[in-house]
Amino acid sequence: MNAPPVIEATHLTKTFGHGHVAVRAVDDVSLTVGRGELVLIMGPSGSGKTTLLSMLGGLLRPTDGRIAIDGVETTQLDEAGLAKLRARKIGFIFQAFNLLEALSVEDNILFPAHLAPGGRTAARTRANELIANLDLGHRRRALPDTLSGGEQQRVAIARALINQPLVILADEPTGNLDSEKGQEVLMILHDIARDEGCSVLIVTHDPRVEDVADRVLWLEDGGLRDRKSDQHDWVRDPVCGMRVDQWTATRFAEHEGQRYVFCSQRCLERFEAAPAQFSRDTRPHDTNE
Amino acid sequence: MLHWTLKSLVARPVYLLASACGVAFALMLVIFIEAVFAGESGRIVAYLQKTKGDVWVMQRGVSNMHMATSFISDWKVAKIAKIEGVRKATPILYMNASIEIGGRQWFSFVVGMAEGDDRAGPWHVVRGKRRPGKGEVIIPATLARITGLDLGATITLNTKKLKVVGLSGGTFSMANSVTFAHADDLSDVMSAFGMVSYVLVDAETGVDPRTLAARIREQIDKVNAVPLRDFIASDYAMAMQMGVEIIDIMSIIGVGLAIVITGFTVYSQTSRRRRELAVAKALGVRNRAVYGSVLLQAVCIALLGLAIATALAYTGAPLIEALVPLVALTIEPEVPLKLGVLALVIAAIASLIPARQVLRLDPAMAFHS
Repeated sequence: MNAPPVIEATHLTKTFGHGHVAVRAVDDVSLTVGRGELVLIMGPSGSGKTTLLSMLGGLLRPTDGRIAIDGVETTQLDEAGLAKLRARKIGFIFQAFNLLEALSVEDNILFPAHLAPGGRTAARTRANELIANLDLGHRRRALPDTLSGGEQQRVAIARALINQPLVILADEPTGNLDSEKGQEVLMILHDIARDEGCSVLIVTHDPRVEDVADRVLWLEDGGLRDRKSDQHDWVRDPVCGMRVDQWTATRFAEHEGQRYVFCSQRCLERFEAAPAQFSRDTRPHDTNE
Repeated sequence: MLHWTLKSLVARPVYLLASACGVAFALMLVIFIEAVFAGESGRIVAYLQKTKGDVWVMQRGVSNMHMATSFISDWKVAKIAKIEGVRKATPILYMNASIEIGGRQWFSFVVGMAEGDDRAGPWHVVRGKRRPGKGEVIIPATLARITGLDLGATITLNTKKLKVVGLSGGTFSMANSVTFAHADDLSDVMSAFGMVSYVLVDAETGVDPRTLAARIREQIDKVNAVPLRDFIASDYAMAMQMGVEIIDIMSIIGVGLAIVITGFTVYSQTSRRRRELAVAKALGVRNRAVYGSVLLQAVCIALLGLAIATALAYTGAPLIEALVPLVALTIEPEVPLKLGVLALVIAAIASLIPARQVLRLDPAMAFHS
């Protein structure tokens, strides 16, 4: 990767409290994320994942170290500068979706648009594209409390993408979703990194994300450590390559006598449109890691 | 932001209405306190306003009628009538007195009308005679209703018994009433033979009251002559002086209450929206815009409260007057405008209460599930 990194964090430390009660939530973490890269940060609860994500997103100031987003050192910015950076260069996806309850799907998606040059009017075409791509056309006027969890997260993703950010920061994006919806969301995030050139940083416990990630980082006791290995038993989705638990999967297709398992309806549809393209090289197989 | 703020506000209409009603309650207090004051003050000068006249003449050193005593020798009335520019000069006797009706004392301005002249008499007679003869009196119809009196009944002015022969309208309020008697009866009560209290002067067409008043002062010894407008202003100012401190205190209490209610409402609205405001901040909305959203909500609640209060006050005032005849209510036309400005001030102050909460709101809270 020759291009300069989009995210560059150096010797990042965050300490909460003082003296005897001081807790180092993040301890001397350095990391870089390149354009279009999907990086997964895993680790046990309380390991500092969300604190790290908050600092990278300019929501929390580090105690020590520096962060640069697209070459702009965020640790040097004031509150207004950070707000501007967040609005224009970073998209956030939250575990609890955090949609604005009084606004419709379309208005939620357009909400950050007024913070970017051009405003809502300029963003309307982009919003229409996102609504169509994320299959939200029929829910355009719906209020968040009438949406399913998967729909809410798709709206949150569209909202994160409306200003065409360089970075997407996602905190447990599948945490409140069932297996199928979770896989669908992961597939969307995977496509965002690949198709939109966004750097996607995901904090999660969900091991399925490992298959779509370019890199997996393990955070424990505030510091990045060697990744731990786990035993898994999965079959692969022939379209996206994501591992799918065939006992819980609900999307299947038969082609030339072979049975294929899919993570989402999206992958199934892509497969059905051109089965030869995906069945040529890929065979479902069990993995024991 | 504007769109979101307004949508958030109307998303819970019951909550919005309850908040606005709370503010409306406080603002109605202010409106009614002022309305009572304006109503009572208005009634104090009602006699002067309704009898009109261009110039009022009184004893030198006296400049008003309310709570005043004035004596002029009656021969001066004829002299005044002859002054150039005077069309008519009508003398009245006048005293602030307590009249007894059914064993209860009522404060009243008593006007003694000259025999055969009703120029300075009641401007609206509900029932009975327009002009009292000797031994007769015209009392306010409202007072008659409250005391259960009717035409033919007797009242006592000092020790003099007078028969009620007429009932007048628009002459009664909590603070005072206007009673009309024959000048001879009042002269007897006041021991003011050969005297009048005031002379109501009607000017000839085209004569400036101010010029005429100056001419009367110049030509008639030991009198003061005041154009009607100044005379009313002087009486109104005196009425205001008498109760303004109490009214001010009550108005301040009303405004304070409105600030507390609006502040509490906005604070609870902000608390309820804490998470959403944190999300907005996380998405890049600046502190000042978030505060602007809180302020806008406060303004909307205050203005809606004002609209409810004004509507209720205008529809409720006649009802209150009908149910409680003692109370005279006047809602001045400028009151809604004045309260509109006040509502904006209330909203601005009220939104300061949650300002600290907004500024300290941690956008990282959006990550907490």
